[in-house]
Amino acid sequence: MASDRPTHPIGRPVVHHDVVCPFCGLGCDDLTVEEEPPSTLAVRSTDCPVARERFSHTPVAEPPRVAGVPVPLAEAVEAAAALLGAAQAPLVAGLGTDVDGARAALSLAERLGAVVDHALSDGLYRNLAVLQRTGWIATTLAELRNRCDLLLVAGPDPAALHPRLFERWVAPAPAFQTPPSREVVFLCGEPLDTTRAVLSGLPVTVLPGDPARTGDAAAALAAALADPSRAAGAAGIGAGDIAALAERLRTARYAVVAWGAAAFAGPHADLTVERLVGLVRDANRHTRCAGLPLAGHDNIVGVNQVCTWRFGVPLRTSLAGGTPRHDPHRFDWARYAAVADVVVWVSSFRPEVPAFPADTTVVALAPPGTAFADEPAVFIPVGTPGIDHPAHVFRSDTVVALRGRGLIDRGLPGVAAVLKAIAAALPQEAPAC
Amino acid sequence: MLTKLAGGRIYDPANGHDGAVGDLFLQDGRIVADPGPGAAPDEVHDLTGRVVMAGAIDIHSHIAGGKVNIARLLMAEEHRMAAQEPCGCVGLATPSTHATGCRYAQMGYTAAFEPAMLPSNARHAHLEMADIPLIDTGGYLVLGNDDLLLELLASGAGEEAVADYVGFMLNATRSLAVKAVNPGGINAFKYNQRRLDVDENGPFHAITPRRILTALAGAVQRLGIPHPLHLHGFNLGVPGNVEATLDSIVAVDGLRLHLTHVQFHAYGAEGDRKFSSAAARVAEAVNRRPNISVDVGQIMFGQTVTASADTMAQMGNAGLAHPKKWVMMDIECDAGCGVVPFRYRDKAFVNALQWAIGLELFLLIEDPWRIFLTTDHPNGAPFTSYPELIRLLMDRDHRLARMAELHPALPEHTILGSLTREYSLGEIATMTRAAPARILGLTDRGHLGPGAVADITVYTDRPDRHAMFETPDLVFKDGRLIVRDGVVVAFLQGRTHVVEPAYDPKIESWMARRFDERMGQRLTHFRIAEEEIRGGNGLVRHACQPGAF
Repeated sequence: MASDRPTHPIGRPVVHHDVVCPFCGLGCDDLTVEEEPPSTLAVRSTDCPVARERFSHTPVAEPPRVAGVPVPLAEAVEAAAALLGAAQAPLVAGLGTDVDGARAALSLAERLGAVVDHALSDGLYRNLAVLQRTGWIATTLAELRNRCDLLLVAGPDPAALHPRLFERWVAPAPAFQTPPSREVVFLCGEPLDTTRAVLSGLPVTVLPGDPARTGDAAAALAAALADPSRAAGAAGIGAGDIAALAERLRTARYAVVAWGAAAFAGPHADLTVERLVGLVRDANRHTRCAGLPLAGHDNIVGVNQVCTWRFGVPLRTSLAGGTPRHDPHRFDWARYAAVADVVVWVSSFRPEVPAFPADTTVVALAPPGTAFADEPAVFIPVGTPGIDHPAHVFRSDTVVALRGRGLIDRGLPGVAAVLKAIAAALPQEAPAC
Repeated sequence: MLTKLAGGRIYDPANGHDGAVGDLFLQDGRIVADPGPGAAPDEVHDLTGRVVMAGAIDIHSHIAGGKVNIARLLMAEEHRMAAQEPCGCVGLATPSTHATGCRYAQMGYTAAFEPAMLPSNARHAHLEMADIPLIDTGGYLVLGNDDLLLELLASGAGEEAVADYVGFMLNATRSLAVKAVNPGGINAFKYNQRRLDVDENGPFHAITPRRILTALAGAVQRLGIPHPLHLHGFNLGVPGNVEATLDSIVAVDGLRLHLTHVQFHAYGAEGDRKFSSAAARVAEAVNRRPNISVDVGQIMFGQTVTASADTMAQMGNAGLAHPKKWVMMDIECDAGCGVVPFRYRDKAFVNALQWAIGLELFLLIEDPWRIFLTTDHPNGAPFTSYPELIRLLMDRDHRLARMAELHPALPEHTILGSLTREYSLGEIATMTRAAPARILGLTDRGHLGPGAVADITVYTDRPDRHAMFETPDLVFKDGRLIVRDGVVVAFLQGRTHVVEPAYDPKIESWMARRFDERMGQRLTHFRIAEEEIRGGNGLVRHACQPGAF
């Protein structure tokens, strides 16, 4: 909101309070951000490395480029439209953008008959594959904070990707449980030092185990629920530890099993998720238990929500054939990039664009200062949602959408505006129903 | 531009027209009075012999929000099959936003309301509803399992404080009405209770469902919200649940109450199969009490998916999932969601009786102003089955023929065969246009009088009512022709209907503390700004009248 933007007192930093952080999907909305005119931002209220790093990356605007040559925005838009109009197998991906940017990207993709995917959808797909195959029992962050008396963290510490998870959602005592107690168990993963520090007031158990065999540990736990005395060891964790944890799960009032699927290594990591989901389901025969599948950087959850409501199917979908065709294997952007002739890559949250095969024509929308392995055919610098313009982003738990506000004005266009302009420059077609 | 719709048979129950021939004039998106013989319309549609009604309004259809997207994800099979079709969006249980708007408009509907918007998910629901083309939308806010309300009640707060809380929540989430889903039950499920009786204290907060129900009905009355409390009752789908349904009617003690998808709450536990129709008992209670309205939630046979905030009930149904997969979610200390795919089979006794119970309710409840045509989309069936449902109501022979194809034991368990009532066109117009607008407080919709928004549907009067209502000849939205002969000919954006009841803002400081301490979210960020709804364009506010109802 432009009206929210404080005017600059001469020579003094402007302080923005209660800023929404759009980056990792935890939905922190309590940031204090200092603005050093003209456009330098510094997060003052938290040590979160994601927030600190991302908010501090606000170089001044630079002009768009076509074939490496600086041009006005209108010219870059025309050039992009010309390249896209001739595309045979276009890919619209990256999709690091807010809800409005996603709407514009998906509309453009529909117009082009393109394949759509998000840069970070590997982790999301490990979760969605299981949701689509078997369903699950899940929960949200405020339920975790207020009701959970036993948190089981499966696999590598998700705080590596979601730094304030424990501080904001686990360290406070549960408000809606009697007694208001909580304990935390790390299974097949060790807490980071920062996590240990945040949880210093809570009982924490670490069962290190083999992270690559987190699924085995989940299966052993599930098997032990009916009769913990018959527990077997798994993933390097002894039978006694599995039995004790199974017993603890059975007697918990509201257990939460959390995982960050992006951190699961190896092929078919969705099978790890499936076993965790199975453990949660089985635990509900005895008490209440719910999963917390984390995946959320760069608004991937929000972009997937928009895609699902727009087309009835999630990302990794081809819009080439009239009706959307979803195929999580075939339309994975990393695979499809090998055959795509033109790629529209959107990355407004981070100055990173992957390398594409040499004969691929790339139209890149990314922050100023983005380094490219190969100069793209068209580069249009864009603002960052929640920094340069108001933006809707979703939290990782898929339920809560937040609206970040614009903090600074670097004169950068938003993704939605650029993609709408490109779509408008294409030959028009009547929309079908 | 002046448009004349000439010589149609006008069914406009709100203004006393029951098929009399007349003209309508449209200007600037509204219906205007006959400008007199000197006026020269820019456009004239000759509607001689055609049936003209206001655009239809669906008061209960799950069209947007988190559970709808989960249902879409879970129903991957139907989308895979749809991708084989030339136009893959026909009749899906989980259509895209685009298909939702198109299919509604193609059936002559110009508004549909999402009846289960969770406070924490309201922003999502609004973002999604804005992507539904052609029709107006709005959401009913789910309250009654929110820990904050239960805390407030447990603290002994009076009616005024409860009304302030509800008033704040409706404003903050840009909602049109209040919905209660199994009040107290969803919260209890989070403490592993799989059942909660109406007079049983729930866990932790120690509040009874009856107390929650009466508190919310009272708050709605106090705030003067046009739509009565929209209640998804107790023990959904459980044989014998009629007792709790009748109890709810008594509990509100004369306050207005809307019982939604009442078919799922009109079950007895009698007979050889311990599952029986209690439609007659519900209908009798509704007929006697003008403060009660219902929508039916008719089931139709085929594959669909059930999506509800009622995790307690849905967990109980999860074993019946078809295909065998389901999702439950505990949500953000305000409710939950349960998504269970389901196939209603016409040869299954239980499903056949559900079908009959729904039709019995339609035919036994006398006042078409207080009963609404819904399938609780997609829970009973996709909304695209409305034309067939209308035919079942209007055509007894068709009804009997269909009944004969169902489970053979059905006839001895239902009085449906003996019910001779056939709905008239005027009654259909009441039930799907005039009455929904009136019960939602949409004063300039659902009728065809001067000043009304020019949302109009024109049909050819066919004996096959299914065919008639499936493919209207013309549909106007805001005075623009959007559908001709069942084909969408123009796209436009609908509007979002809301109420903004007055409340004492003192409640906000208590809530702001609670949000900081519990929800990990600032209250200021929870509140949805006007410019967030359709980019600031398209909010329609409806007046609240404290004490008027």
